[in-house]
Amino acid sequence: MIPLTDTAPALELSGIDMHYGYVRALDQIDFRVANGEVVALLGDNGAGKSTLLKVMSGAHRPTAGTIRVHGREMEFHSPTDSTHAGIQMVYQDLALVEAQDIATNLTLGREILRKPPLGWLGFVDKKAQRKRSQAELDRLGVRTAAMTRPVEMLSGGQRQVVALARSATRVSGERNGVLLLDEPTAALGYEQTRQVEALIVRMASHGIGCVLVTHNLPLAMEVSTRIVVLNRGRKYADVATDKTDNDQLVGWITGARPSMFAA
Amino acid sequence: MSLAPEDTAGAAPDEHTKDSLGIRALIFTRDRGIVVLWILLIIVFSIWASPFFAKWSNAVLIANAAALTAVYAAGVAAGAISGALDISLPGVAALAGVTCGWLLTHHVSVVVGIAVALLIGLAIGVVNGLITLRGFNPLIVTIGTLSATSGLAAVVAGGYTITGLNQLTFMGTRHYAGIPAPVWIVIALYIVLTVFLTQTRDGIRFMAVGGNKEAVRRSGIQSNRYRVLGFMISGFCAALGGLITTAVDTSANPAADPSIIFTALTAVALAGVALTGGRGSLPRVLVGALILATISNALTIKGIQPYWGTIVTGLLLLAALGMEKGVETSVERRLMAAAQATVHSGKK
Repeated sequence: MIPLTDTAPALELSGIDMHYGYVRALDQIDFRVANGEVVALLGDNGAGKSTLLKVMSGAHRPTAGTIRVHGREMEFHSPTDSTHAGIQMVYQDLALVEAQDIATNLTLGREILRKPPLGWLGFVDKKAQRKRSQAELDRLGVRTAAMTRPVEMLSGGQRQVVALARSATRVSGERNGVLLLDEPTAALGYEQTRQVEALIVRMASHGIGCVLVTHNLPLAMEVSTRIVVLNRGRKYADVATDKTDNDQLVGWITGARPSMFAA
Repeated sequence: MSLAPEDTAGAAPDEHTKDSLGIRALIFTRDRGIVVLWILLIIVFSIWASPFFAKWSNAVLIANAAALTAVYAAGVAAGAISGALDISLPGVAALAGVTCGWLLTHHVSVVVGIAVALLIGLAIGVVNGLITLRGFNPLIVTIGTLSATSGLAAVVAGGYTITGLNQLTFMGTRHYAGIPAPVWIVIALYIVLTVFLTQTRDGIRFMAVGGNKEAVRRSGIQSNRYRVLGFMISGFCAALGGLITTAVDTSANPAADPSIIFTALTAVALAGVALTGGRGSLPRVLVGALILATISNALTIKGIQPYWGTIVTGLLLLAALGMEKGVETSVERRLMAAAQATVHSGKK
């Protein structure tokens, strides 16, 4: 392996411009997330958070700028491209198969087949799938419910955890990827939010890079290692979480505080 | 790890690959209630219609009467699981039967006749599927193919019933080991389909597509082919049903019988297959078909007019819906209570 790829950030965007007609949704944004890092992306409505996330997930193509994954320059034409590069978006609608159990949901698309001859006929080894799903959840430190429990019988928080774990297992191949999370706790109660927060921290500790878009300042302070603030399409701040506080962040978000990068 | 081990948030203690016995019992009741209903009916009828009902020979009669409904119900269920209601079954059945009959009267071998009929079923399934993929409502699309196929059937038969088809009795009235051929066909069909749906990769993906297309698509799986597959299975079942009807009657009637679809739908609905897709189990559909046959059989034995059977079936369907709803809510409540307990008492 080229040494460059090991030290390079898992995902790096530089000089990203995004124009819709005359509107500059993003203006010269530099953004990077390393393996094991949780970067919170803050900003008011219309600041460009979602647009930036869509650029990262391949849903939008930037007007200008480059995207590098593990140091390699890439161009995303669709979300499939970014998924192949190891960048996985966790959508707010969780897209779980309600009537199927947790193990099936976690293994969909990467099923374990039985040994031949049954394997040739496409027979699935359900026991092995349950074991692997359990092992994957254990590795993330998640205990939701039995692997045989249909997803429709889970609480909202448990579903969110299953959806997150599914994305996590998709990006933690031989080289850890990046998870893009859009308001992962928006619909959850206190206990469930705590559960999801802990999971995000734990996924990062396994080397997954996380980008967390949220309006929820306490959540950002709780789980992130670094915070990036966008304001009207410009990057106003990029600080380590323990070097800043609520007041500063609110200042950058509202624009009351001048940008860190002001010329 | 940056977190202390006791902070594995929300951890439910001691839950591993299996749920607790209580929860599994609730899930069982939810999923297998129809079997209980059937057993109750059998017990009641055994007493009420004794001594003629509870006999092996009568069981064979019931099974044989249920066979045709079961074949069509398998088709309707396959469509429903993939999220589409296939109305074209009666037309496909008539076309398949008539085509096979026409081929047989023109001295084509039985094997070829049956193969062509089944291929027609699959082909119409593909057509239904491909049109539906364009974004049209499957109900409307299959109403169209119902009309087209029943018209085609009349064209093939020249408007008359093709009679004297004695070559097919081996799959019609013949008995093997004391059991009529259609029952054997149903057993084979249901075993194959059940194993496919529950044990194979494609079957599980097929169920998943019916439940949530988006989930499957995001897993990098082409969901479209599974949606076409649903129509192919139901087309195949329709053709098979048409062949069995032809075999039993030794004649092929070009008129599509719309009651096929309603009887099959009743069995499917009794079995709790959601018409919105993604859930359902074929063994339960089989029990649904058997319940319908059991009721009409018992009423016949008691000499009660058959229309009472229709009334009872209808009421039973409504009662089954109510029971299902009741069990589901109580299961949900129990599960939510369990989830709350583990979240609030299971840590720290």
